[in-house]
Amino acid sequence: MTSNILLACHGLSAVVDEKPILHEIDLEIPQGEVHVLMGPNGAGKSTFGHVLMGDPVYEVTAGDISFDGEDVTELAPDKRSRAGLFLSFQAPVEIPGVPLRSFLRAIMEGRGEKMKNKEFRKKLQALAETLDMDPAYLDRELGVGFSGGEKKKVEMMQLLLLQPKLAILDETDSGLDVDALSVVSRGMELYRGTCDGTLLIITHNTRILEHLNVDRVHVMVQGRVVAEGSADLIAEIDANGFERYEAQLDA
Amino acid sequence: MAEKKRTQVEDIDRSMYDFRYDDSDAEKLDAGLTPEIVREISERKGEPEWMLEHRLKSLEIYNSIDMSDWGPSIDGLDMENIVTYVKPNTDQKSDWESVPDNIKDTFDRLGIPEAERSYLAGVGAQYDSELVYHSMQDAAAKMGIVYSGIEEALHGEYADLIREKFMTLIPPTDHKFAALHGAVWSGGSFVYVPKGVKLDYPLQSYFRLNAKGAGQFEHTLIIVEDDADLHFIEGCSAPKYNVANLHAGAVELFVGKRAHLRYSTIENWSKNMYNLNTKRCRCEEEGEIEWISGSFGSHVGYLYPMSILAGRRAKASFTGITFAGRGQNLDTGCKVVLGAPETSASVETKGISKDGGIQTFRSSVVATPNAEGSRCTVSCQSLMLDNRSRSDTIPAMDIRCKNVNIGHEATIGRIGDDKVFYLMSRGISEEEAKTMIVNGFAEPISKELPLEYAVEMNNLIKLEMEGAIG
Amino acid sequence: MGTHALTIKRASAMPAPTWHFLKMNDTQIEIPEGLAVAPSVKVSEPWRARGAADEFDNALADAQEEWEKLHPEPTPQEREELEAFTRAEADATYGGTAQSNYQIGADALEEARSLAVAFEHGVGEEAAAYLRFAAGERVVVQTDPGQSVEAQVVVSAVPDALSVAAIDVVAGRNSSVSLSIVVDSPDVPASAGASGFAGTTVRVFADADARVSIVRTQTLDLGFTDIDDMGLFAHDRARIDVRQTVLGAGSTFTGLAGDLRGDSANIVVDTRYLGHADQEHDFNYVLRHHGTRTECNLGANGVLAGKSSKTLRGTIDLIRGAKGAQGSENETVLLVDEGVKNKTVPVILCNEDDVAGNHGATIGHIREEQLLYLQSRGLSKDDAERMFVGAMIEQAAIDAPDEESRAGVLRLGETVIPGFAELFEEEA
Repeated sequence: MTSNILLACHGLSAVVDEKPILHEIDLEIPQGEVHVLMGPNGAGKSTFGHVLMGDPVYEVTAGDISFDGEDVTELAPDKRSRAGLFLSFQAPVEIPGVPLRSFLRAIMEGRGEKMKNKEFRKKLQALAETLDMDPAYLDRELGVGFSGGEKKKVEMMQLLLLQPKLAILDETDSGLDVDALSVVSRGMELYRGTCDGTLLIITHNTRILEHLNVDRVHVMVQGRVVAEGSADLIAEIDANGFERYEAQLDA
Repeated sequence: MAEKKRTQVEDIDRSMYDFRYDDSDAEKLDAGLTPEIVREISERKGEPEWMLEHRLKSLEIYNSIDMSDWGPSIDGLDMENIVTYVKPNTDQKSDWESVPDNIKDTFDRLGIPEAERSYLAGVGAQYDSELVYHSMQDAAAKMGIVYSGIEEALHGEYADLIREKFMTLIPPTDHKFAALHGAVWSGGSFVYVPKGVKLDYPLQSYFRLNAKGAGQFEHTLIIVEDDADLHFIEGCSAPKYNVANLHAGAVELFVGKRAHLRYSTIENWSKNMYNLNTKRCRCEEEGEIEWISGSFGSHVGYLYPMSILAGRRAKASFTGITFAGRGQNLDTGCKVVLGAPETSASVETKGISKDGGIQTFRSSVVATPNAEGSRCTVSCQSLMLDNRSRSDTIPAMDIRCKNVNIGHEATIGRIGDDKVFYLMSRGISEEEAKTMIVNGFAEPISKELPLEYAVEMNNLIKLEMEGAIG
Repeated sequence: MGTHALTIKRASAMPAPTWHFLKMNDTQIEIPEGLAVAPSVKVSEPWRARGAADEFDNALADAQEEWEKLHPEPTPQEREELEAFTRAEADATYGGTAQSNYQIGADALEEARSLAVAFEHGVGEEAAAYLRFAAGERVVVQTDPGQSVEAQVVVSAVPDALSVAAIDVVAGRNSSVSLSIVVDSPDVPASAGASGFAGTTVRVFADADARVSIVRTQTLDLGFTDIDDMGLFAHDRARIDVRQTVLGAGSTFTGLAGDLRGDSANIVVDTRYLGHADQEHDFNYVLRHHGTRTECNLGANGVLAGKSSKTLRGTIDLIRGAKGAQGSENETVLLVDEGVKNKTVPVILCNEDDVAGNHGATIGHIREEQLLYLQSRGLSKDDAERMFVGAMIEQAAIDAPDEESRAGVLRLGETVIPGFAELFEEEA
């Protein structure tokens, strides 16, 4: 393939507790594109995101993942992150005892970005404003007592702060929450605008894609990629759902 | 004892509240047990010399250490009487004679040799397990499994092995009653499961009195070699003919590499028993011990089976239930030592107290500095059936290793009125409803037991619950 | 006049002890010889001379009278019935239930029916008495019904001295008290290796509907020893919040005892600590539920790094009659380095059935789902652990109730993480 492929996985299979959950996934994302992974509930979409990030809960049994020209299949999640991969969590964890500000500074320092404290404060302040987040949250314990919308803002803030090469946004549930939806849309827009980022959006709700130029759509059913196509697929799925693909697989 | 309590209540001040640190009663307890008596026991048993030395050493230790100050009172235990339990030629010898005829007949029919009779005396007829035992003997023996009285084993093929292991897990220095046990122990079982041998039905042992009536100090030693598997059941079901009031047995279990041992006990001693039993297990690499423990009987109980996970990836689980009714103070729980990398332990216990009964869950979890990657979870639930009773939870954790996960949770409460109401609204009486709920509470334990024991346990609960209302 | 050497044995003892081999039942406090007794206590005006020295005892005596009216002694007939029951039980069950020493003592304490006798100090009576003696004059913060006050007590420890404050808070009905206690060694040069002793002993009487909030921030240099002793009494619907931030001192003794005597009384304790270097922390909590529908929450969050060690005893006692009471206890400890030692014993004692008690403890490394999240943002396990150490101090700075507390946290933070104070320069 051409050298502008940012992420590629070939024949990727994974299991959780010895139960197969992903089957021989082939998927490629060229640099700078916006891809969407769609599929019904329980198709394995979120799992796929976690496997790409290296969640140790899942065991890769076959295939490989290469990112930015390197084989990352065996890499620990923090190394993948530093390599430029980002995964937003559907349900970000709460970390009592760690103020959001400390956390954000730690992840910046983690990749060797020493920023003067004043500068950093200013940057966080500005990001909070952009995302319409009360700066008081910066001094609160990470995620503790945050609403769904606020948690999303924290995820987007990290996306904008880290400016990863590839952002995998697990937005399976976002469609349910109008506020969260708009936060994510704003985040994606800024991310694309500021650093020409590459996106993989995991969703089964198409509203989140409304203002986005989608390059390619992948459809996942029962742990397999069963269809791929242009953005036109979105409208098609909107109208007809996933039954066709499921039937095809069951047959 | 009761009088003593009352005087303390009268002269109340802050200092009396701290009086628990005063052990003044302890040192008077030991009169009556002499080296001569111990020598006599040993001689009668025709023991090897090392065992006599062990006994004498233990006696010394017994006389030099105090009773613990934190547990149920043992003031009601007449320690002078210990002599009468262990001294030969006491009237306890007649106990075999008082065993009900139907039990003796059972043994006759089974053809258990005359010599073994006294050793088996004390089998409770209610378990109806004699046949199991018998058929097991043949099959198990063919597999190379040894299951015999420990005293006779001291003279047999495994004498050296016994000497190597005997009271190494429970040294006489451990506590006062371990020392007493070391001095006067008598009777008990020896089980040896050779490498790779897996027995797929349980061995069972019952409360027993040996010929000299000293069964209250029995010693159980079980060795499960590498890759072997054993389920051992110990029944201590209320032997009505038992006049003893002290049980200070010891159970030492050795689980080899990748071996597995399940040790189940349903204890229902008569309610004049002071049960100060000590049980310990050591697991080597990837060895696993599972404890199932039900405590229903006894006047006073001190029981904390201990799992020492000495080999990498060794595992322990403890599933226990304690039901303390009227006049009972049962202090039970377990101890766990995470002593090697990647070991894991889980503890799940249920406690019920009723009619002024006291039940205490007491535990200790120790993770040593080389327990890297180990984990342990302790979960403990207590149910109070009225406000005359008491239910305490005292779990200690001592963690000296960084990469471990230790979790602990405990809850305490009573039967929800809503649940009782719901059941009653469907026509169930209050007593039945509560029994049903308590049985449900105990279910996680009873489901771990062989059917006959589970039924027995439910019956015990039913019995305990009778008259629980009003 | 200097101090005499003194060993206070069985300090911070837990009410119901367990195996001695664990060495967790209590602790020992060594007072060295020859310390100057130098209170170095600064009290914010105007509360210094506000209350009389016997304010607390009087309040407790009044509460005693009130309590006795609501809880009359058993009549001779009731007593006789009870005794008959006990006799019958003894006859039927081999002398009755063979109670432990602790259990006998607990029953006797309830029979004494004295609020003063039941009132406890978290580190024990002996240590508390010593602290009172060392403090000399007592600081009394007293409020009239409905009043609302803020007060601050700053203990500035100096080398080779014993610097102690004794504080009584007597909050009148429906009043509110916020007390900030700062224990710091601000004038000690970090390199000096100075040693000394600091401490506070606090008694709180919260009358009906009162709200008392105490925030204690301790940031002593490692050469110092700190004793934080508290005894709380909560009347009907009173609420007492205590936050203890333990960051400094080479060894610390934190003891808190509370009597939830009034109906619907509520005590919340939030403890945060950092162990680093060779620090040794000892905590003892005893919360006794007497009133109906009383509630307590004990929360402790800590990070242990370096060669530090910590022992925490937490006892919730749900006493007969405390119908509808709820007690809960929760501890999270993160162990960051090899060589740390953590001992925990979360006890629930209970002889009332209509209660809910629970406790939980999580000890060890970062939870897996948290770690995955942190890793997915590029932090290695080691980075993440370091972050928790820094975050503990940072959170303390963010939550510091006043400038003095914050200054102490920043000063200490700088010694643990060079450059720390800079993080707060905008606000500081």
